[in-house]
Amino acid sequence: MWHIAKRELYDNLNSLRFALATVLLFGLMITNAVVHLWKHPERVQEYRYGVAEYQNRLKPHAEDSLYKLAQQGPGELLKKPSPLHFCAEGGEPFLSDSAEGGYHRWGSRWWGYTLESFWILAYSSATASVRNVRPDVTKVDWGFIIGYILSLIALLFTFDSISSEREQGTLRLMLANSISRHTVLTGKFLGALMSVSIPFTVSVLMNLFLISTSSDVHLNAEMWSRLGVICSIAYLYICLFLALGLLVSARVQRSAVSLVILLLVWIVFVVFMPNTLASIAGEYTSPKSALGFNEHSWQLRDELQSEYRHRYGASEDPTKKLQVAGEYVTKDAEQQERLHEERLNQQISQVNRARTITRLSPVTIVQHLFESFAGTGFERHLQFLENVKIYAREYREFVLDTDRSDPESLHIIGVREGMSQKSVSPEAVPKFEDTLNLSKDFNTSAMDLLLLTLFFIILLSGAYLAFVRVEV
Amino acid sequence: MLTTLIHRELLDNLMTFRFAAAVLIILFLMVTNTAVLIKDYERRLAGYNDAVKMHQRQLYEKKTYSAGEVYADRPPNLLSIFNVGFDKRLGNQVEVSHRYVPSLWDANIHESDNPFLDMFASTDIVFIFEVILSLLALIFAYDALAGEYERGTLRLVLTNSVRHGHILLAKYISAMLCLLVPLLLSFLLAVILLTNSASIILNTHDFLRIGGLIFASAAYLSVFYLIGMLISAAMRRASTALMLSMFIWGFLVLVYPNVILAVTRRLEAPQARTTSAFNQIEQIWEEFERKRKHFLATDAFPGEEWHFSVIGGGSLYAGLSDDLGRLWYIYESHMHFETLGDEHESKIPYAQNYFRFLGRLVTDTADRTWLIRKPALESVYIHPSNVEKAWLKLSPVGLYDSTTQAWAGTDILGVRDFFEAARQYRHQVIGYFYDKDVFGSRAWFSADKGAPDWGSLPQFSFQRVEININAKRALPDLCLLLMINVVLFIVIFLIFIKSEV
Repeated sequence: MWHIAKRELYDNLNSLRFALATVLLFGLMITNAVVHLWKHPERVQEYRYGVAEYQNRLKPHAEDSLYKLAQQGPGELLKKPSPLHFCAEGGEPFLSDSAEGGYHRWGSRWWGYTLESFWILAYSSATASVRNVRPDVTKVDWGFIIGYILSLIALLFTFDSISSEREQGTLRLMLANSISRHTVLTGKFLGALMSVSIPFTVSVLMNLFLISTSSDVHLNAEMWSRLGVICSIAYLYICLFLALGLLVSARVQRSAVSLVILLLVWIVFVVFMPNTLASIAGEYTSPKSALGFNEHSWQLRDELQSEYRHRYGASEDPTKKLQVAGEYVTKDAEQQERLHEERLNQQISQVNRARTITRLSPVTIVQHLFESFAGTGFERHLQFLENVKIYAREYREFVLDTDRSDPESLHIIGVREGMSQKSVSPEAVPKFEDTLNLSKDFNTSAMDLLLLTLFFIILLSGAYLAFVRVEV
Repeated sequence: MLTTLIHRELLDNLMTFRFAAAVLIILFLMVTNTAVLIKDYERRLAGYNDAVKMHQRQLYEKKTYSAGEVYADRPPNLLSIFNVGFDKRLGNQVEVSHRYVPSLWDANIHESDNPFLDMFASTDIVFIFEVILSLLALIFAYDALAGEYERGTLRLVLTNSVRHGHILLAKYISAMLCLLVPLLLSFLLAVILLTNSASIILNTHDFLRIGGLIFASAAYLSVFYLIGMLISAAMRRASTALMLSMFIWGFLVLVYPNVILAVTRRLEAPQARTTSAFNQIEQIWEEFERKRKHFLATDAFPGEEWHFSVIGGGSLYAGLSDDLGRLWYIYESHMHFETLGDEHESKIPYAQNYFRFLGRLVTDTADRTWLIRKPALESVYIHPSNVEKAWLKLSPVGLYDSTTQAWAGTDILGVRDFFEAARQYRHQVIGYFYDKDVFGSRAWFSADKGAPDWGSLPQFSFQRVEININAKRALPDLCLLLMINVVLFIVIFLIFIKSEV
């Protein structure tokens, strides 16, 4: 078996395809590293700037009073950029890099008494590139290099491994010796795997070398372990396509036909399925339309306002008046936030449905896996939103607790007069810090990994059965 | 002799497995994708109609002229099904106001129902051709000459008195005839699906544009066939030729367009150009402020308040705002009263006088700003995009993409036509305002005596450019594609007659 594998490897090492594959992979990996080294410092800079701005905004509010903190909210909450952005870009331009933690929605005067809206957690959509008139482009990340180019290379290495031997008659010679068929198949598989792995591994190491030598990108131990996982997924993915190549090559008499079949399968599964399936899945059950949503939100606000305005006008006691006003402000914030969250959940479930269906294509599985381990993309966005929600709860609890601990306060949340008038130490206010969590990532991606392994096992056993039954 | 050769080659090609498989796959992909694309177009059209209705309704609800916001909306382009280009990406609604001259950079996109769905790239029909037809052409071409060298049949053929050129021509013509079958069939299918949809009406010009798309596709196909043939003639061994063709395909179609843009994108917008233009614009508006203050100081009304201390039930706002990124600078003044007390009646003629003056001044200043803004925006945004497009055109894929965009009218010029129309519409609206003395009318700021007559405002309409302009825009790239064809053919011919059989 090792003999066959070695023979295959030597055959391949001298071939044109090996040289071309090496050049192609090197070029792509170097481009990837260089672009990352340009772009990543800019992203980190932007994030730091945004965080500083967020803290600057919080400080005067805290120094003013607790009411100001409770009314204005924490401000814009930023998503931390991942240093592994070069592994998977993950459609980041279409995902917002922040959540809106409080902007001024309305101010209103009730018989001379000024009411201000409380902050809510809103989810801005990404500022799409309306002004960008440059041509559209796929990012050259590992997901692209491995998902598209490496899979094609794997097919080009295996399409003739069995069929050409049959054409030349060498297969008959080989099987005339006392070698079992599965040994031949395994040997061929290992040989092809080694020949594809060599240029791939070398170019990956080169890429990582370039990235790790730079002072701008810091990769800690956790990042390296993530990279390890990503590389093993890449090898599994290569194996999958090698098995596919062997399967078709064993079934088909001529290598030209085998290549045509493989290329067409590749095009359908890798190039078209991810996008077309997503579009088809996206057709079903659209969330509430954007125009309808705004109108619904205004309508609910107006209904609530007229109800409380009436109660405010009807009550005589000034404390009671304050209570009504405070209740209105908190109710309104709760209602609007719930509305935003419902809409977000609808959108997310629609996208999740589309993503589930696109899992039929191995390239999407690999891209999802890369995204979740690189800390980019949609799963990461959901994690960020989860972090934001937890923080919002913390922030609100902090406001309530601080108010409770002030004996002079009337404990009426929602109006300035009803809340603690003392200033708060800016250090005491909880700060938002976005985090990445590997164990959580692993849970969401276990399903993808299993699916990928399943595809591989099915294809390999298919190749084995086809080869065993083939007549030489 | 030529016909015999063509006949033989045609039979050879048509009866192959690769031909049948390719036709089936292409047709399958075409049907599914076209159905999805038509759905998408219909949804965008519905979104456009909703937006137009909403803007109309919101405008009619406004009680004063100064509060009214007139919008121009861009309908989705039907031929974006073939090549989506910039149609979906760039802004499709822009406010038409006398305060500034609308441009592409001031536009917004109708808010999408689910912005996350933009993550999934959409495949248009040209993309299918870009990927599959080129591959198909290479699969047809790799053994055209190399296979015959190997089998020795070329020697046999040439022992007869057949000219080298005839053999090449016969191979080329027959293969192209075969390759045109899936191409034409898929266009036919797409058109059938389009005509079956209720909301889509194709006119003669659209059919001509589709004809242009077919022609461009055929030229693109031919380039790839010739590339394959060149490799085949130079390599002499079919397996080597195949390997090389596949890698060249991967490079041209998948790698080059992405890598070249990743590398050239380093060049960001020139900051210096933006700031210098912005300073000039700022000066214009400073002069505007001087004139405005001078008017307020010298008019018959005492005091320099712009609202003449007229206070009623409504809102008041005035101020300058700017945006450096898009070189945007405006002076906004809203005075919007639903009710007005009688005590202000004496001041109203002064206010009318001022707003009449202000309307004209703002319009003129905005026009002058545009003279500086337009070339600056061109050099900051359009110029880098043109450079990138030129880089892309080094690959036939880029040429094909840009020529089909031009035919479909989804290129940047096609989108900018809309903004040109919006600018003309602005002229019309301002002309109407001058004619009716809207700026100086009481309804400009107060709703207490008569509401604005929104019904008689000129309507916005946007007609796509004529087919000959599309053709003119598509022609340079198309010519380049054809030229590549000719050059490749000559090179193949030279290699072929020089080679020993």
